[in-house]
Amino acid sequence: MSLPLHDRALSGSDDALVRMTLESESGSLAAEPATVVATLVPNRQLGPGEQYRFHFDMTKCIGCRSCEIACNEQNGNPADIRWRRIGEIEGGTYPDTQRYYLSMGCNHCLDAECIKGCPVDAYTKDPITGIVLHSADACIGCQYCVWNCPYSVPQFNPERGVVGKCDMCHDRLTDGLEPACVNACPEAAIEIEIVNMLEWRSDYALADSPGMPAAGLTISTTRITVPAANAAAKLERVDTGSIRPEHSHLSLVFMTTLMQAVTGALIVLLLFGRATASLLTTLLIITVISLNVSVFHLGRPAYAWRALKMWRRSWLSREVLLFSLFFLVLAAFTAGTILTALSSATLIQLHAQALQPLQSFVAHSGILQILGPLAALLGVGGILASAYIYLVPARPAWNMAHTPIDFILSMALIGVTLPSALGTLPYFAASPYPIWPVACVAFLWLANQTAKLVRLNRSVSFEHRASATLLNLPDLRAALIATFGLVAAATVLTVIGNLPLACAAAVAGVLLSRYLFFVSVVPLNMALTFTRGGSHV
Amino acid sequence: MTLFTKIRRALGIDTRQADYTYQQDPRFGNVAASRVADTWIKTTCGYCSVGCGMLVGVKDGKAVAVRGNPDHPVNLGKLCPKGLSEHHILEAPGRAKQPLLRKNGKLVPVSWDEALNALVENFTSVQQRYGKDALGVVGTGQLLTEEFYTLGKLVQLGFGSRNHDGNTTLCMASAVAGYKLSFGSDGPPGSYADMEHADVVILIGANIADNHPILCHRLEKQSTLGQARTLIVVDPRVTKTAMMADLHLPVKPRSDIALINGIAHILIREGLIDRDYIDRHTTGFEDFAAFVKAFTPEHVAAVTGLSEESILRTALLYGNAKAGFIGWTMGVNHSTQGAVTVTAINNLALITGNLGRTGAAPFSITGQCNAMGTRESGFTSSLPGYRKFDNAEDRAELAGLWKIDAGRIPSARGLAYPDIIEAAVSGKIKALWFIATNPAVSFPNYSVLEQALRSVEFLVVQDGFHPTSTSEFAHLVLPAAIWGEKEGTYTNSERRISKVNAIVTPPGEARPDFDIFLDIAARLGVKDELYPGWHTTHDAFQEWQRVSAGRMCDYSPYTWQQIEDQGGVQWGGTSLYRDGVFAHSDGKARLTTVPCLPFSEQPNEEFSLILNTGRTVEHWHTRTKTSQVAMLESMVPNAWLEMNPVDAAALELRPHDRVTVASRRGSVKNLELRITGIVAPGQVFMPFHFPETNSNRVTFGDFDPISREPNFKQCAVRVEKFFLTAHAKRSSAHAVGDPAANQAL
Repeated sequence: MSLPLHDRALSGSDDALVRMTLESESGSLAAEPATVVATLVPNRQLGPGEQYRFHFDMTKCIGCRSCEIACNEQNGNPADIRWRRIGEIEGGTYPDTQRYYLSMGCNHCLDAECIKGCPVDAYTKDPITGIVLHSADACIGCQYCVWNCPYSVPQFNPERGVVGKCDMCHDRLTDGLEPACVNACPEAAIEIEIVNMLEWRSDYALADSPGMPAAGLTISTTRITVPAANAAAKLERVDTGSIRPEHSHLSLVFMTTLMQAVTGALIVLLLFGRATASLLTTLLIITVISLNVSVFHLGRPAYAWRALKMWRRSWLSREVLLFSLFFLVLAAFTAGTILTALSSATLIQLHAQALQPLQSFVAHSGILQILGPLAALLGVGGILASAYIYLVPARPAWNMAHTPIDFILSMALIGVTLPSALGTLPYFAASPYPIWPVACVAFLWLANQTAKLVRLNRSVSFEHRASATLLNLPDLRAALIATFGLVAAATVLTVIGNLPLACAAAVAGVLLSRYLFFVSVVPLNMALTFTRGGSHV
Repeated sequence: MTLFTKIRRALGIDTRQADYTYQQDPRFGNVAASRVADTWIKTTCGYCSVGCGMLVGVKDGKAVAVRGNPDHPVNLGKLCPKGLSEHHILEAPGRAKQPLLRKNGKLVPVSWDEALNALVENFTSVQQRYGKDALGVVGTGQLLTEEFYTLGKLVQLGFGSRNHDGNTTLCMASAVAGYKLSFGSDGPPGSYADMEHADVVILIGANIADNHPILCHRLEKQSTLGQARTLIVVDPRVTKTAMMADLHLPVKPRSDIALINGIAHILIREGLIDRDYIDRHTTGFEDFAAFVKAFTPEHVAAVTGLSEESILRTALLYGNAKAGFIGWTMGVNHSTQGAVTVTAINNLALITGNLGRTGAAPFSITGQCNAMGTRESGFTSSLPGYRKFDNAEDRAELAGLWKIDAGRIPSARGLAYPDIIEAAVSGKIKALWFIATNPAVSFPNYSVLEQALRSVEFLVVQDGFHPTSTSEFAHLVLPAAIWGEKEGTYTNSERRISKVNAIVTPPGEARPDFDIFLDIAARLGVKDELYPGWHTTHDAFQEWQRVSAGRMCDYSPYTWQQIEDQGGVQWGGTSLYRDGVFAHSDGKARLTTVPCLPFSEQPNEEFSLILNTGRTVEHWHTRTKTSQVAMLESMVPNAWLEMNPVDAAALELRPHDRVTVASRRGSVKNLELRITGIVAPGQVFMPFHFPETNSNRVTFGDFDPISREPNFKQCAVRVEKFFLTAHAKRSSAHAVGDPAANQAL
């Protein structure tokens, strides 16, 4: 692929090109357009093992934000979506204050997490240019890439229901034209370079910069020219005081909680040998509701089925797969249980005598003894896959052992309260369950949450501490206290025998806690501006 | 969205896919299909005075995209974020679309006929009852030169009121006055290209990275002559521009005169002056040299807070420069000593001969897109064509050109903008007409301004937008066309006359200001006399060419077409005064003695901080335009207050606290606090763009005695924590404090 920009610029035949860097031929003040001495895109073809990358020169940038506008104009994006963003960093003491700016699009990483996590294979690393491309057609709007990227580069566009991101103006580059940001920068601070991927992998120190997450997480390819080290001025983000709660993803709050409830309850029913048709049917109904609710987390629910595609790679695909299998096995288990529970007389009454051989097969083959535990296993597997989704370095408050522990303990907590609550209903009437598991699980659940809070507060990581700060906002702090109260109350209510309320408290506690889990996470991100204006990430 | 579309969207059908497709623009390559244009119209940006050439893409009668004009000598294809999104203002929801007349206390839509009759009736009635000068008119540097020229005749000769000024008095009147004092005439003597050619560039009170970003690329590390360039930035704040500097001089507020005089002191002491140039082209050197003797480095260091070493270094750099360029903007102009500070800068250029040659100039970088055009063609602080009110020959010449009795041309200027406001408060002015300006946000000391707006019998606001903070007071609102809807010329800071073209038609019933002026003239019965045979702005341009012919600002050699084809032309060439002949009667420039006086409202115990005001790159003036561009508005949706960590600690304030800034005149509440080393201890800064947090509720209405420009830059304030009401608290509960500072949970 050729990039004839340099030649075209020098020939002066195309007025759409950059004519920025001036070269004086005569030293005169003549007003004719200047000629180009440097192009801002490579003037040779990519060799094997090479890819394009951005170079950002912080010492040239004056923070004018032309690149951001140019990017949105290029891509027709609404005002609150920024594929290129400006950040401010500052350090030192007046008058030796140092102020610099970052202008970042996608870093087109060597180990791009967005690609790995995507359940529908919407991302590809272009084999020719190395540009990380995203297909809006393939995307189902699950936003897993948004969670995975340490730079918060992919942004969800609710208007379309899909994610979008900087593609280095791929279609302009392949036409030999510079990307919109490169074209717009009045200081020539942004340019496109060629990088040897193998060499870069062994030394990517030039990708690191104040105000940027560590480049090593995904091996960002963007080269950043930073100002000469000034011992007096440690450059720091200026946006750290305006961190805002993240999206609550309510459908995921309900889906994760309900799936954990169903799985937990199923395990308890199996352990106590009380997996009756009516209780299983109840669990199945909750599962159906839960899985349907989860679909509305997607920007494009109609294409939810595509999420199965990348099960070999994506934890999200695996979660969808395992929960789908869980549903199928649970459905079969429930159906079998119902079938074996039916008397011959009922079958005749239903004109379903044809089912008698099946009934006898189910009853005598022992398949129910396999289906039940299999469903439980798939449920637990699904819950662990769920937890793995959140174990992403780009979201530090999620990326803790507390997340899978919480998921399992939440499963156990609702699992030990739900069947006993259902047992109090006349239709499900059953002998009481022991109380001590509730107390034990609730204690562990509370201990896990407490440990997480302590660790967040004491962490050296800004994002961890910022999560703790978010949880200390008046509204969120009240909710946090409520979750602890509710879970503790579940134990007390169990002890005093109000089992339905105990279950309700446990479910409410977990739901509220899960809500806080989503809103209080502070993602890794590049430094943004003081007002964080315009960027919703 | 129809229900069907809503359902489809909810299910996940990408109903907006068509909005996100790309197409090949034949001229600019692959781009969002919505930005592909049928035709590209050349024009000049309507925001600041840099005067960037641009191409506006039009499709189906709508402006869909903006590109910098790569062939334009000013910007070589580059634009700032405001320019790059300028097409959006043509579709802005806040545009004024029909005339509104206040009836029974309410603004109601009326026909143009009724609106303009009401204007003429009320203005003439006021003038009959209180005298001709009871009408005050404030125009703007946003108008076309042709329009401002037309307006001047309408006000001064049609209505017969001398009280006509431009809002430019709020931004560059000091530069005008300073140039007149030193050189005998207005006219910035240099060019942007001088910045590239100079080996020493000093910017004083000029944050060009925020305010004129497209000039910054001219300050690369090497001059075009191949020498290393030293950029010195004089500013009390560590601005984005200060960050570009090789040497930042963080002067104490309003100590710039001491610095400039101190440099002159060193230059004379070290013999780094051009004795020959001084003798041949200036007067007053002996007095000047004697005067600056007192400005020893030691004294200047004490006044400015700078080190003697940095003062010396600056002086030596400038004195030894092959070509020394001094640029300034509002840090100098927005001062009660603005005009004389300009002359102090001019002094430096004169004694070193850094004037009238390539790379060397004392250069005022102007504010508005057509501030220069209004300076030249305006009938405000001087007569059109840089003629003087007090010069009988000038008046006679104009009268001859206009075929009127010379007696109709006043022999002294009327009231300047601040004095018009004061006269409105004191009852001398009874009718006000504001054109494309928003004093309710931009004028210092809001309470006085509000009193003026409420005191007059008839207030007309002619603007492209409604409501604005000012139009809400109006008795009559006239909806005007804006940039992109009318044709004519702007002149930029470097005297470059540039063509501005109509791209789309004005929305609703909005009309170009020019048409409004002509219509009023017709109703007043003066159209045939003042504007014989005029129909378009081109008629005005042609008369203006005749009026300016032979003057310093001579537009006569250039047709509209030539101006457009050449990417603008500079009247007077690249440098003025190449021959060293100045506009004073003796042909010599004046060296002035300028004492450095402290600014009026010094901080005290109660108001212990000095408030500085300024701009941010994302917004323009009072944000009537830029608040309507979603992206610019969302980038910086609110004002903030910068405070040094030392002061914040003393006041026990934390980042993002909401604060109130209070002065003796009023207060600005609920500002977001930015604790930063950008400002010095003892100083705070806030941007002035925001009506919601209007800095002019606290600024001091103190004016330069010569230029009448307000001193926006310093007043004494105190800052205290602002406590939200319970209701407001809930709505902003998502904003949090600094996690680093908040460890407890």
